[in-house]
Amino acid sequence: MLRIKNLKCSYGSIMAVQGVSFSVKQGELISIIGANGSGKSTLLLAISGLLTTWEGEIIFEGKNLKGMSPPDIVKKGICMVPEGRQIFSPLSVVDNLMMGAYTMYRKGKKKEAAQDIDMIMDMFPILRERAHQLAGTLSGGEQQMLAVGRALMSRPRLMVLDEPSMGLAPKMVEMIFGIIQKLRKDGVTILLVEQNARAALKISDRGYVLETGKIVLQGSAGELLVDDDVKRAYLGRDYGDFYDGRR
Amino acid sequence: MPVLTIEEKNQLKLERLQSTLNRAFKNVPFHRKRLGIYNLMPDDIVSLKELEKLPLMKRAHLGDHYPYGLFAVPLRDIVRIHTAPGTGANPSISGYTRADLMIWQKLVARSLEAAGVTSMDILQINLPPGLANWGRDYKDGAEAMGAGVIPNSPLSLAKTVMVLRDYKTTALVTTSAFAEQLTEYMFDNEINPNELNLKRIVLVGEPVPESKIECLRDHLHVDVWLNYGLSEIPGPAIAFECGCGGMHINDDHILPEIIDPVTLETLPPGQKGELVLTTLSARAFPLIRFRTGDMARFIAKPCECGSPLIKMEWLPGRSDDMMVISGIKISHSQVKAYLKDALGVERPDCTMEKRRYGGTEFLSIALVIDESLFSDEIKNLERLMIHTGESLAEQIGVAVKITLTEKYQSFPDN
Repeated sequence: MLRIKNLKCSYGSIMAVQGVSFSVKQGELISIIGANGSGKSTLLLAISGLLTTWEGEIIFEGKNLKGMSPPDIVKKGICMVPEGRQIFSPLSVVDNLMMGAYTMYRKGKKKEAAQDIDMIMDMFPILRERAHQLAGTLSGGEQQMLAVGRALMSRPRLMVLDEPSMGLAPKMVEMIFGIIQKLRKDGVTILLVEQNARAALKISDRGYVLETGKIVLQGSAGELLVDDDVKRAYLGRDYGDFYDGRR
Repeated sequence: MPVLTIEEKNQLKLERLQSTLNRAFKNVPFHRKRLGIYNLMPDDIVSLKELEKLPLMKRAHLGDHYPYGLFAVPLRDIVRIHTAPGTGANPSISGYTRADLMIWQKLVARSLEAAGVTSMDILQINLPPGLANWGRDYKDGAEAMGAGVIPNSPLSLAKTVMVLRDYKTTALVTTSAFAEQLTEYMFDNEINPNELNLKRIVLVGEPVPESKIECLRDHLHVDVWLNYGLSEIPGPAIAFECGCGGMHINDDHILPEIIDPVTLETLPPGQKGELVLTTLSARAFPLIRFRTGDMARFIAKPCECGSPLIKMEWLPGRSDDMMVISGIKISHSQVKAYLKDALGVERPDCTMEKRRYGGTEFLSIALVIDESLFSDEIKNLERLMIHTGESLAEQIGVAVKITLTEKYQSFPDN
């Protein structure tokens, strides 16, 4: 579905992503894990068209996304849930959701959009309760649900989530990841970028480990969860010297 | 492997190649330095084709970086360490992480499945000491698929046949030398193959001519399957037969190339040359363009079995100075270096040959006697040769017989 080859992204003279290749197949849930500054978010900015100065290939359903604007990419079926939610705080929950369906409104599909809002409120009952509340007054977890709901309004075939667990309480993280799993079961292909490697890998089919702009490891989620390097670097185990403990 | 389109397969291989290069560059000074010499960075390899830009690795590099210089993970992540004779003074050491062993299990299981082995089989492993590491890999792979395994253990021929018969072994993993020895023993001792439950033999270690395979089929009433592997690294079952002719290479984990052993240029599909391998998923011990010394050619025609794995024909002969005895690769230069150290002969003048006695293959060395070796006590000389042969055998993993000669001679019978 999504095939990326030799992607390089720069901010001026700093190359944040250095020749990355990865792929997402239809129906998969793929995680990209990595520390702060490893280039995860930059990757997503390039995929969603928000970063234009990239080299390489981003092919979505056979079409190269080079030169496409973010709205065109949304129309193609990719929608991003950005880091920090980025909801429209002064607008109500319903208005936020309606903003997510702007492509449908432009096509005059108001009825379908209304049905989708209903469906999303069924999925996240708390949003129905808070339908007319200003989005900025929601809790972090509720805002994350709203951000996911808003992305779903564009009926994406590939949903890209940037650090959805960031700043959330553990219980809320569990809930958000449960929602991501449900979306995947409902047929949405998901690309998940996370620092919370354990939670991400637990629900993923496969994963890639990004380190200083390069992919240094990939494999099934099960393989990565038991990998010693991944454990040390991302799953909270200690990291010692190269020959630590064996000399 | 799951059914992938050619595009998906190439994407998978490129992803794995690039992360292997990133890991090797980051963690192994040897690889970092070599890329630096060629003014290359891992991200310069933007396609599978561009792999040929990278320098080739030789067996000698493994000995040069003895013991752990080519490992790409901390030692504490290593769960298994293998030793192979190598080509020089140092042995070749390879290591495996837990994840590496899981991958080998899968690859071995894949090759056994292609040979028709199932969880209903009792699989017996009989490999010489020099291939003991493969014995462990076949055990793990067969156990992973649920087969009953009789692991590799040093048994006399009579005991091996007893186990084959009494334990109702249905599949045997061994070398062609042992399979021949087994056949001869059974016929010499009037043991009818019908007394065995054996249905298939997986041969490892060296290419086997069709005439020998036919002979085994006829005499033992079994299907014969060939597996290709490297005895030093990274393991057995790199390629396997599927029954359609030729061998499938597990190219989702090990990327093959064929090069001209003289010009070192990559050859197009169909041309005969030296097989070069690059590991795509090995964590502990990545190999980048490793020269195997084995001769092969790619088969471009898609396989009737439907497998998307690349196919090759494993050809007899080698591109280096190594000889294969009971599936174990023996380096001429290493044997000479050993004789030099053991006997104190500056330039050991000798010829080497693979020979067979009583069904067992051994290395026969005809050593030209010189003044430094000469003794008027023939018994002392004999003892020295026996002792040297035994300690050399321990090092290389095959039996050795050293005879002294005044000059090069043709080998006597036996």
